[in-house]
This record gives sequence, structure tokens and C-alpha cells, in this order.
Amino acid sequence: MTQPLLAEYFPILVFLAIAGGIALAMVGGSLLVARQKPYAEKLSAYECGFEPFDDTRRRFDVRFYLVAILFIIFDLEVAFLFPWAVALGDIGWFGFLSMIAFLTVLTAGFVYEWRKGALDWE
Amino acid sequence: MIAAAAFYLFAAILIASAVMVVTSRNPVHSVLFLILAFFNASALFLIAGAEFLAMILVIVYVGAVAVLFLFVVMMLDVDFARLREGFQRYAPLGAVIGGILFLELVLVLGTWSFADLAEDLRLSPNPGGDVTNAEALGRILYTDYVYLFQASGLVLLVAMIGAIVLTHRSRPGTRRQDIAAQVARAGSVNLRQVPLGAGLKTLGIERPPLPEEPKPAVTHDAGHEGHH
Repeated sequence: MTQPLLAEYFPILVFLAIAGGIALAMVGGSLLVARQKPYAEKLSAYECGFEPFDDTRRRFDVRFYLVAILFIIFDLEVAFLFPWAVALGDIGWFGFLSMIAFLTVLTAGFVYEWRKGALDWE
Repeated sequence: MIAAAAFYLFAAILIASAVMVVTSRNPVHSVLFLILAFFNASALFLIAGAEFLAMILVIVYVGAVAVLFLFVVMMLDVDFARLREGFQRYAPLGAVIGGILFLELVLVLGTWSFADLAEDLRLSPNPGGDVTNAEALGRILYTDYVYLFQASGLVLLVAMIGAIVLTHRSRPGTRRQDIAAQVARAGSVNLRQVPLGAGLKTLGIERPPLPEEPKPAVTHDAGHEGHH
């Protein structure tokens, strides 16, 4: 371990290894131990079920896309807030006000989308 | 040693999942492999010491961008079998272009060498020590690079307005919830103080008389119920 940072993440690596090991053991164990008798009827739609009429992927309403893209924008805004909050003691009033200006610009956009009704779901 | 082993593991998974993004037949599987690639890239960032970038990669790319990709894949409604029709015909041309790009990359990387003083010439050197990644970013991002920071805010604003202008249209036929009108509504609904124990008739509240319902004929015997 050259960096102290990585030592803190070592338990997560251990967890990843355990999770991968357990997943492999479950799938591999059922593959090795269980009796395998595959035939076509096991995969068919059972009694009340029926074959799908057409493709599952059909056109979604574009409004889902709008909600997702608005979410991304505010997600990025919050991502900018993290280092600002951590370093606020060092950057002084100028850093504080620069973030306030940034938030003002995005709040203007937020007011615009609110008034426009982009957040409503009729 | 462990860090090196983890690096090679994550890099191998990253490249394998990137290959699967390109080659898998189902585009939804492609997006899922892309998410796996993002996770592994974030692990690589972590190994390189960029803790904040690793977390942002997970939050923004996995949490938002990959979901958006899924939406796009679902929305486009493209017949992917038909898209692949010309694959055989165009494969040689694509291979030639890819080969040329690869050759250029090899030539660039083969002759690349760091200048001796490059590390000292950096504008904002790594503070090192006990300063965390996010704090080191925060110290320069909001003051030294304030113009770029404000420009990124404007880019986000333009993206927001562009998305609304392009995709939002008001549907005239539909009704939407008007909360202000809902709250301000009065007159048609009355609240009455009703004394305890008093019926509707004694209070004189008018109400249409109940229609006489014919009683359903009882056909079952009393001893029948035990069987149900």
C-alpha cells in the first residue's frame, strides 16, 4: 500500500471479493450439483401465459426523457456543491459568492422550467 | 502489490465490458455492460488517487447518464437487425480506418516522453499530504477557475432550456392539477358541526331516499356453509 487512501478502501475490495465468490459459488454449485434435464417445454409459456404479441421495446413518451435530463442537470449542480462545501473555509467570500452566482443562474433555469410546466405531469 | 493486482483486475474487466458494449446484440445489454465499465473505471480512478472523481463517476454516470442511455435505447425504436445489414460490406473499410487510427496511436505513444521539468511547471500541483481530493479541487475550482465554473453553470442552463424547448409541449386537451385553485376552493363543500348521537333525519339534512332493494333470495341451506 503506497497510499493511505487505498488502505481505507481495502475492506471494500474484500467485500467485492466475498460477493463475487459467493455469487460464483451459488451459480456454479447449482450448475454442478443439481440435476440438469433441459427440454423445450420448460422454457415455454406455462398454461395461462401466452407468447408475446410484439417487441417489448416500443416508443416511450418523450416526457420521461425530459425528466431524466432535468435530473442530470441538477445532479451535476449538486456534484459541484461537494468540493465547495469541503473547501469553504479556504476559499473565502469570493468562492462563496462565485457559488452563489452559479446557483442563481441555475435557479433562473429552475424557475423557467417550473413556470413552463415541465415538472407537471398531466 | 494488492493495488497492482486490483488495477489489472479492474482494467481487464473494464476492457472486457467495453468490448461487450460494442459487440452485444441487444442494445439494452450494451447499456448494462456500459454501467459495468463505468464502475470499473471508477475503481481505476480510486486506485489512481482521484477519490472525488471516482465517486462522481458513479453518481453522475451510473446514476444519471446510463439511465438516460437506457431511455434513449428504449425510445429510439430502431430495428437493430436492419442496422446491421450492411456490416459485411462496410467491415473492410471500417477495419482499415480503425487500423490507421490504431497505428497513429502507437506512433504517438511510442515517441511520447515527459519533459524533465513538466511536473514542476504544473499550474496547480497536487497538495499531497492530508488534503483530500475534493478539498484540493474545491480550493482552486471556485476561485482560480471562476470563469470556467460560471461557464459550466451557463452550459447547464442552456442544456436545461434546450431540453424544455425541444421536448416540452403543452397538451391543450389534458387537464392538470392546479393546487392553488384546489386550496382556494370554497362554498361548494360545507363543514358542519354535527352533535353526537343525532341522526340525519333529526338534523333535517336532505338526502334522497334510498331505493327499496329487493332482498336476494337465500338459496343455500344453513348446513351448507361448513363445506366452503
